[in-house]
Amino acid sequence: MDNTIANFGNLLKIQLKQQKQLDLIIAYGLAALTMTYLSYSLPNLLPGDFVTTMYSNSFVTITAEQEAELRNFYSTDAGFGDYIIRLLKLDWGFSYSSLTPVSSLFFSALPWTLLLMGSANFISIFIGFVTGVEAAWQRDSKTEKTMVSTMTIMEGIPEICTGVILLAIFSLHYQWFPAAGAETAYANHTLIEQFLDVAHHLALPLLSLIFAYLPGNFLMARNSMVMVLKQSYITTARAKGLSALRIRYAHAARNALLPVVTRFCLRLSFMVTGALVVERIHSYPGLGTLLFNAIQARDLPVIQAVVLVSSLMVLAIILSLELLYGIIDPRVTHAH
Amino acid sequence: MHINLRTNFISDPWFLIGASFTTLFCLIALIGPILSPHDPWEMSFDPISPPTIEHILGTNDCGQDIFSELLYSIHNTIFFGLSSGFTTLIFGVAIGLTSGWYGGKIDLFLMRLADILLATPSIMILILAASFFHPSPITLALLLALLMWPTISKVVRANTLILRESLHIKAAKQMGASNWYIIKRHLLPEMYPIYLIGFTSKIRSAVFMEASLAFLGLFDPTRKSLGIMISYSLKYYYLGIWWNWLMPPIICLSVLITATTFLAISLEKVMDPRLKESLGDNLA
Amino acid sequence: MNKFTFKVFWQNLFTILLTIICLGGTSHQVFASDIRIADSKGDNGYPNPFRHYPRGPGYLHMSWVFETLTWKDANGIVPALATAWEYDAKSLTHTFKIRQGVKWHDGKPVTTDDVAFSVNYFLKNPYKFVSLTNITEAKAIDQNTVSIKLDKPYAAFISRVAGVLPIIPKHIWQDITNPKTYDDPKSFIGCGPYLFVNFDKAKGNYLYEAFEGYYRGKVKAQRLIYIKVDDPLMALYTHTADFALIKPEMVKPLRKKGFTVLNNGNGWNKKLMINHRKAPFNNKIFRKALAYAIDQKDIINKAHRGFGTPASYGLLSIDHKYYNPNTPTYAPNPDMTKKLLESLGYIKNQKGFYGKNGAVLTIELLASNISVTGESRPDRDGEVIKHQLERVGIQVSLINQERTSTDSKIKKWEFDLAISGHGGLLGDAVILNRMISPKTGSTNSVKFSDNGKLLKLLKKQSAEMDPKKRKTLVYKIQEIYADELPAISLYYPASYIAYNPKKGVQWYFTPGGLGSGIPYALNKLSLIQ
Repeated sequence: MDNTIANFGNLLKIQLKQQKQLDLIIAYGLAALTMTYLSYSLPNLLPGDFVTTMYSNSFVTITAEQEAELRNFYSTDAGFGDYIIRLLKLDWGFSYSSLTPVSSLFFSALPWTLLLMGSANFISIFIGFVTGVEAAWQRDSKTEKTMVSTMTIMEGIPEICTGVILLAIFSLHYQWFPAAGAETAYANHTLIEQFLDVAHHLALPLLSLIFAYLPGNFLMARNSMVMVLKQSYITTARAKGLSALRIRYAHAARNALLPVVTRFCLRLSFMVTGALVVERIHSYPGLGTLLFNAIQARDLPVIQAVVLVSSLMVLAIILSLELLYGIIDPRVTHAH
Repeated sequence: MHINLRTNFISDPWFLIGASFTTLFCLIALIGPILSPHDPWEMSFDPISPPTIEHILGTNDCGQDIFSELLYSIHNTIFFGLSSGFTTLIFGVAIGLTSGWYGGKIDLFLMRLADILLATPSIMILILAASFFHPSPITLALLLALLMWPTISKVVRANTLILRESLHIKAAKQMGASNWYIIKRHLLPEMYPIYLIGFTSKIRSAVFMEASLAFLGLFDPTRKSLGIMISYSLKYYYLGIWWNWLMPPIICLSVLITATTFLAISLEKVMDPRLKESLGDNLA
Repeated sequence: MNKFTFKVFWQNLFTILLTIICLGGTSHQVFASDIRIADSKGDNGYPNPFRHYPRGPGYLHMSWVFETLTWKDANGIVPALATAWEYDAKSLTHTFKIRQGVKWHDGKPVTTDDVAFSVNYFLKNPYKFVSLTNITEAKAIDQNTVSIKLDKPYAAFISRVAGVLPIIPKHIWQDITNPKTYDDPKSFIGCGPYLFVNFDKAKGNYLYEAFEGYYRGKVKAQRLIYIKVDDPLMALYTHTADFALIKPEMVKPLRKKGFTVLNNGNGWNKKLMINHRKAPFNNKIFRKALAYAIDQKDIINKAHRGFGTPASYGLLSIDHKYYNPNTPTYAPNPDMTKKLLESLGYIKNQKGFYGKNGAVLTIELLASNISVTGESRPDRDGEVIKHQLERVGIQVSLINQERTSTDSKIKKWEFDLAISGHGGLLGDAVILNRMISPKTGSTNSVKFSDNGKLLKLLKKQSAEMDPKKRKTLVYKIQEIYADELPAISLYYPASYIAYNPKKGVQWYFTPGGLGSGIPYALNKLSLIQ
């Protein structure tokens, strides 16, 4: 009898959990749909259109007729329904400005964004986390104070400065690093040479992004670690006589990880436009530049595609984060 | 307790540095425009000239006095950053707490709203806003707040979830405390470090965003602010303007951010005496 | 323990940094016969007539691949695909002798059929860069001769049509009905000095390779590479680029480093658009009051540190062969502004701003970031003009917006004053028609129809084949334009390019600009050995 009740209870719990997860997924589905609609409608709201941008300030002077004809040619818009159907068919349309498929533009820019932003985020989160944990552990020590001050001072320097200063020093003055681009254009390199060439070009933009991200990650990790260190289980662990390193990483840091991972994922959500300034200063290719140029040219299909795909990517990242919370910190699952 | 608090503050170098610089900047922000020797929009001086007695920091690309510009910029940047930071914080904490504490459908809705805002590229929204109405600095600060609250509320929510399960909150709940009481007495105060850091980091984002937008040519370039000063001076980096034009706003910005962060750190320590009692001695 | 972890951490960090720096030390191999051209936009469309962007740089990209009937060098018009040409005024026909032995990139010969086909094809599928409104048809008369018939005399035919219109191969384009969407490597077959190889839109790089069979002979660079560069000074210093458009302040440091610097000429102007369809701007007297309040020299000094030249109020560049030195000018004169405004019934209020019937006059000034190369870089023009107008008592509300937003407002006539800019001022005088006539769709055209005489003169000058008579007409047009002031030309920004002379190419500035007047030193003739 007791057994059946217990079973029933378990079943209920599982059902409840499933229900919750279902709710979550439905909510995300709705958010994705909203995002799809926004990606369709927001670009349409931008004042002016492609023909205005392309022809009005150009060398060319077109008659009103020609303009109407052009406008006709470039208005592929057939309503939201059509947009959805085209999306389902994986047809992203053609870029107005280059008349090539949007997908090819998108996928040629994506790897560079992933490379730059991905490595910048990973490196800065890793260094930030480890240093943050160590700093919190040695609270009030000289090392901590030096680190916190250095990081806060670093945090006060905008990335436009870091970018230009790094370029001025390492590119202009010492000429150690190239001034622009993601690789030497059309150099006949072997695979290894090309790899080195890419790394060589990546260094400066990567460094300016790490400079921009590291202090925030460090301070975040330090602060959540400070919070965790207050908790009673740390005292218990200490009382048990566990080694400092073990307490630090196996007990405390694990719990301090949650906000840091959250921050990491949120950082990833700025992936597309986050590096725009750095991309611009270092003439580095990427989705930010693609989007920015498309917005300036009112190249609607490209804007729509970049906004849509990047926002869906962000939603996917956040959803997986939500599901990941449970693994990193079991308490959150209970709470949910 | 009061005496304790005071001695704590005074003996804390973080607090001393943070507070003195913050006070200094607030003073400059308040009386800077009065102190400035020239009208910062006056263009009648020789452009890009090195420092002289009349222009202690020289003049910029269109013959404006850099020192006066700096004073006005500090004023504007502080007000812009503060208004944006405060609004973001209020939105973020309110939404994050509500979401984390009440959970369920409210949580789902609010957090998806946050996700959508996070997912939409902010540049596009800013261009849209700039073209439809003429954003004054205050509207722009609010607009940035609207774009930036999700990150804070996500962090606050995550911590609310953790705190919600902790023993003292559960106990308070079982003793029949109202939601509002628990939020006010337990949740809000216990997350101080997060707000403080969140607040400073949002001020920073707002000010940097302003600089980046100016650099990309999307922001009203006639405004005076530290970010815009930096973005203008960077265009002439090869003309030997490093020390008199580029560095002053960078130093001000950096010191400003550092001071607020220091203040945040020291406040966080003092506001939470438990921290000192339980760990301070062990770790010292 | 703690100290140990720290040590490890810093060691690791140091190692990472060291690795990055070491990577920095690896040199990369660069071809000696490459010319690398820096471009800040990195995107000018694909280099064929239907897909390049309708701006100067886009046209120049295409000019590597395609040839025209005539071209220009440092001394003026030179033969290209046509070796000789003449005009018969009676039959309104231009006859061209076509060069023999020229080959397309695919090896087929260029024939008179191709030339005639090209003109007729562009009549059907307009090439936005060239206006063919006066042309009826082209015919291949024999293997050497092509005739192009007009329905009206067109003074700018050689400079605006024959020297600009690219000749395309018939065997490729004859079956193409929608050239815009024709996306095939064959669409880049021309007979120019370079073959188009690649355009990487994400990186903003273009690659052109020398065409062995080019009719003018060998070229000096095996490959032409365009790279996207935000800062030309850095790119030149680090030898990432060999050629770049630079800012005037960079001239000195670059000359010191051994780069050759060229001035691009006064072919591009900033101008203040005035909404002359709306009161009070529809009144010539009010526009003149504005002109007297604006100090061109002051704008150049304040917003551009003196790098620029005050513009002629008659639109045509002061370096143009038809520039009228007697064009009316408006030297800054606050008293004149005062007199003119008071004659219109404006009175200064206590604050010193003009108003009428108790309401203060506030003018909205739209400013956006536009520069010669069409990129967005903020400048201070708006700020300075606001200053100048307020100094004489005209209140201004300055609105800085992103360019397309501003353009679409100008287009809808929803503005008072707007700062805009355009080029073409060194090319043929038909630019006057394009920038004044109400029929054009361009944003920076003033579309001015209030003066019938001006419109008549414009029509007449574009049909006048006698250069002397045409000059008189163009002189008159400039006088009327400067008197009417449908827009106020402000200044020609100083525009420079710098190149690395060690690459063995002597670039030069083409008088009158390339093609239809593009003020940019990338002339393909400088690459011929």
